[in-house]
Amino acid sequence: MKRDDKDRRDGKDNRGSFPVARILVTCLCVLPLAVLAALSFAGAWPFPDVVPSRWTASRWLDVLAGQGGLAASFGVSVLISASVALLSTVLGFITSKHVAYHPRRRLLLFLAYVPFALSPVILGVCLLYVAIQAGLSGTVGGVILAQTIFAYGFAIVLFQGLWSPRMRAFEDLVRTLGGSTWQLYARVLVPLAREMLLLCFFQTFLISWFQYGLTVLVGGGQVKTLTLKVYDYVGEANVFYAALASCLLIIPPALLLWANKRFLFKAV
Amino acid sequence: MSLRSRSGTLGLTTFFAVAVLPIAASLLYALLYSVGLAGLLAEGFNARHWLVVLGGGEIWSSLALSVWVAAAVVVTSTALGLVLALGFRGALDRGALGMAIYLPLALPGAVAAFFIFQMLTGGGFVARLLLRVGLLSDPSHFPPLVQDRWAVGIILAHTLLAAPFLALLFARLYESERLGELAALSRALGASRRQSLWRVEIPILLHAAGTNLALLFIVVLGSYEIPLLLGRQAPQMLSVLTMRKFSLFDLRQKPEAFVVALVYTGLVMALIAGLFRRGRVDG
Repeated sequence: MKRDDKDRRDGKDNRGSFPVARILVTCLCVLPLAVLAALSFAGAWPFPDVVPSRWTASRWLDVLAGQGGLAASFGVSVLISASVALLSTVLGFITSKHVAYHPRRRLLLFLAYVPFALSPVILGVCLLYVAIQAGLSGTVGGVILAQTIFAYGFAIVLFQGLWSPRMRAFEDLVRTLGGSTWQLYARVLVPLAREMLLLCFFQTFLISWFQYGLTVLVGGGQVKTLTLKVYDYVGEANVFYAALASCLLIIPPALLLWANKRFLFKAV
Repeated sequence: MSLRSRSGTLGLTTFFAVAVLPIAASLLYALLYSVGLAGLLAEGFNARHWLVVLGGGEIWSSLALSVWVAAAVVVTSTALGLVLALGFRGALDRGALGMAIYLPLALPGAVAAFFIFQMLTGGGFVARLLLRVGLLSDPSHFPPLVQDRWAVGIILAHTLLAAPFLALLFARLYESERLGELAALSRALGASRRQSLWRVEIPILLHAAGTNLALLFIVVLGSYEIPLLLGRQAPQMLSVLTMRKFSLFDLRQKPEAFVVALVYTGLVMALIAGLFRRGRVDG
């Protein structure tokens, strides 16, 4: 009740207005998942039918039973994305502090923005030589490392908001009281940065989860993530399996976003 | 050396090793390849590939298409985001819309491209619906919205991903910038609803979201998955053009792929430098 009063006072409560438009926008937002889910359960969907003429759950049952390539691709995608998110969050958290407190902070930040802002495909074309020389081309490890370069730049930029004079004062206090580096991180910095760490892990997980061009290049087509599977199936004109792979790609981030919307934005 | 400076050196070394060195090495290799100093067909220093690419029309039409798509996506997504944020502000936080608005954010580019393809081709969902309700007599009369001249499909796919994000961003900025109070103040001082909207609320929202809009432009400029499926064979967006030249069996096209990649890289770095110079980016 109090919140409603505050909303009205701030001119924020528009819930009563444009009910038809609100329903229309809600339907439009749900439409992609609805269409893809219908395609993934369609046994046949001939032209010009608006809904499938026959339904089947066999593709989903195959995936749930771990049969076919999609279950393996799902596992590879989770492994790569979780590894990239963990590596870039940990490395970004530790090193972003030194970037934030450095006298040439703006130059270092500019360098951090470069991998984060450049097209993954274009940098992937250039990075491929390095991956081949390092013997990492066509391997899961190579894909993880290549994606980490991009996600790490994002983590550095994201964590800049964390390192305030207040955090510096906490650090000085711990040092003055004789705390070790381990104690500083374990007892003070990590607990204070918990929200930001979760946000960074989630966002870098998504950067990796959505990645396609870099995976194609560095993975050499041998590391079959779900995004690659979508294009494989589209190339084979197998729209039903492409839709199933798409649903598998959408569901984990959608559930995470619904479960915790704060992972989307840092405080603006 | 103190503990802090030792850990600082280690931290910066890690930063350079992960974020700077691989990219610098890659770009250097691309530059050397493009001027004939590296690669299988290295023929000694020459600017032939640069002259071929920069002198031909392909890269410029590709650049024009990429800029057109990026600008159109920023404009349409911003307009839609503003309409949603200002129209449904309270409803974006709760209820069915408060849940549904997050769904498009979970779509990868590859899936958005596939969805738009399924919707907007001649045999797609929209054409079927129009046929069913009698607004279309023949599927061949359905307008080309995919792999079309104006890249409508690419723009729609990107807008599908960006507009809900911008709507949520604008709604949050509306609160953090206390625009409700500012709008009320402007109304108390005699401004009309329209004046308050166009002279106070929208300018403040656009200014506060400027960095995000610039980054959206950069991201769309280099996008790959969406134009790969929804774009035409010629002209292609910059990333697709680079990948096509790089993947061809004709090895003589590889240096040209690196030239396109370096031109794009220079453009994006100039844009980021511009953002930094204007103080719009500061972590």
